[in-house]
Amino acid sequence: MSDFLRDYLTVGIFGLTGVALVGLLLGLGSLLRPTRPQPQKYINYESGVDPVGTGWGQSNVRYYIFALLFVMFDVEAVFIFPFATRVDAYGWFGLIEMGIFIVVLALGLLYAWKKKVLRWV
Amino acid sequence: MFAFLLQSVASTFDRPAIDLHALAPEFVLTGALVVVLLVDLFTPKGSRGIVPSVAGIGILAAMVPVLTLALDGADRSMFGGAYVVDNFSLVLQAMFLLAAYVVVLLSTNYVAEGDYAEGEYYFLLLCALLGMLVMASSRDLITMFVALELLSIPAYMLAGWRKRDRRGNEAGVKYYLMGVFASAVMLYGMSLLYGISGSTLFSDIALAVARGNGLGDTTPLITLGVVFVLIGFAFKVSAVPFHTWAPDTYEGAPTPVTAFLAVSSKAAGFVALLQLILIAFIGRDDVVGPLMWVLAALTMTVGNLIALRQTNIVRMLAYSGVAQAGFMLAPLAVVGSNSDGARSAVVTYLLIYAAMNLGAFAVVLIVARKTRSAEIASWGGLFEYAPGLTVLMTVFLFSLAGIPPLGGWLAKFVVFRALLSPDLTAGGVILAVVVGVNSVIALYYYANVARQMWMNPVPDGDRTPVRIPFSLAAAVTLSVVLTVAFGVSDLATHLGDLATFLPA
Repeated sequence: MSDFLRDYLTVGIFGLTGVALVGLLLGLGSLLRPTRPQPQKYINYESGVDPVGTGWGQSNVRYYIFALLFVMFDVEAVFIFPFATRVDAYGWFGLIEMGIFIVVLALGLLYAWKKKVLRWV
Repeated sequence: MFAFLLQSVASTFDRPAIDLHALAPEFVLTGALVVVLLVDLFTPKGSRGIVPSVAGIGILAAMVPVLTLALDGADRSMFGGAYVVDNFSLVLQAMFLLAAYVVVLLSTNYVAEGDYAEGEYYFLLLCALLGMLVMASSRDLITMFVALELLSIPAYMLAGWRKRDRRGNEAGVKYYLMGVFASAVMLYGMSLLYGISGSTLFSDIALAVARGNGLGDTTPLITLGVVFVLIGFAFKVSAVPFHTWAPDTYEGAPTPVTAFLAVSSKAAGFVALLQLILIAFIGRDDVVGPLMWVLAALTMTVGNLIALRQTNIVRMLAYSGVAQAGFMLAPLAVVGSNSDGARSAVVTYLLIYAAMNLGAFAVVLIVARKTRSAEIASWGGLFEYAPGLTVLMTVFLFSLAGIPPLGGWLAKFVVFRALLSPDLTAGGVILAVVVGVNSVIALYYYANVARQMWMNPVPDGDRTPVRIPFSLAAAVTLSVVLTVAFGVSDLATHLGDLATFLPA
């Protein structure tokens, strides 16, 4: 067997061990625990409140635009935090680059604002 | 590992050298697309026509630095060789810009008269164009992938622009799903290539994948990586058997977008294929050659045979585009014996194909403004009420078929020349015969449209003349001048010969 395949054998053994471990623990649990089913135990748990309506209830489509805008600023943060730890090393060059990046992202916010998607009707 | 990381943190940051002149076309275009977005946001609703003008001016402005770089003549390499400005990138960038300008001309009336979002349309068009410019300059897997996504994602949205039309939705979804699938296949191939070479630069990959690279027996891995990456781009250029999205997408997308996909997007795929095959995989023509041979032969034969049965002119042009892609793939099959000839032939073909195909789509748009139909039957008797248009469409059709002295003839000629020189090989000769047979098949369906226009009666008896808006007239004029000029002069072959790569 070549070195290349042996590396994958390690991965395979690791995966099998993982699966076996999960099966072992769940199996032990089902052997040891008492089983006393009651209807209340099968209700969906929703922050301590009994669920209202069906599982297919519709949520407002507007949320998806907010989700998109959130992703935009989330990505911004992912780049700005590492940059911020090293601002002095990057100097003016880094500052200008990050400025351009933020301005381009802000254009997206400006677009959303002018298209009135930020207003909750 | 951690010591290495700490060390790299402790070292000072080296400011990368940025050649502003070399990046000027991309910067100007980025500025233009920001302006397009802002103009759309801050002009009152209903003031149409400003945005396409701004987009057109932006594209022409980006042409200026391309020309100054061409006059300057020096090859430039940036970011450790990942991004270059050489003759190849300049010729192709000029072509992308000019083709996109014609697409803006085609779109002006179509988008303004339909119920479409105008600002976003041109914004996305310019984004895709920016991706194409980057594609022509990228000499690195990651840069190339970013360029590919930058040109594909706006194109997915543009394909579904007719959002209240079911065919439009089908066009967008099909293109998107197939495109994402192709990207995934390609990324897997890229990961294999990176695993073998330890670098994403084409020049390093070329060393690692070449025969006798001293890495032991890694041939199966190299073959897989090369084939997967090439297949990813075969989707982009709609090569058979990866062409199934093309006709439905072309039919459902707005016609100017179809022209953009059929010309610019396809050309971008070929640009990527050329760079990969001629720089990164140049030592593996034993893998690339047969793959391209089979793809080329299948693509032109299947494309032509299905085109024969089409009754819708846009679908016919879609399948003819598939067949034309086959003609363009053919020189890549002999890349082992004639790499310079293959490069020159594909670039020449791309330039000519862009001119004649954009022209054909422009005439389709003009005629559809009157007939409100894309059926070939509705083209009957066009000569009786629009003789000038009929002559122009005949020029474009016969050019696509490859009749001298029009551009398409020269395009076919350079393909034959690449296949049969410097010396005859069995593969090259057989493929040349396949190209010849397919050219004859193609003549039938192109001539069929011409017959319809010249000889058949007008189906609904409506002989009112066609009104041609200024922008469409400009697009047709530009296309026909280039189609004829490419046929009677050696301009296209000269540009093809000129488009050399920066030596790695």
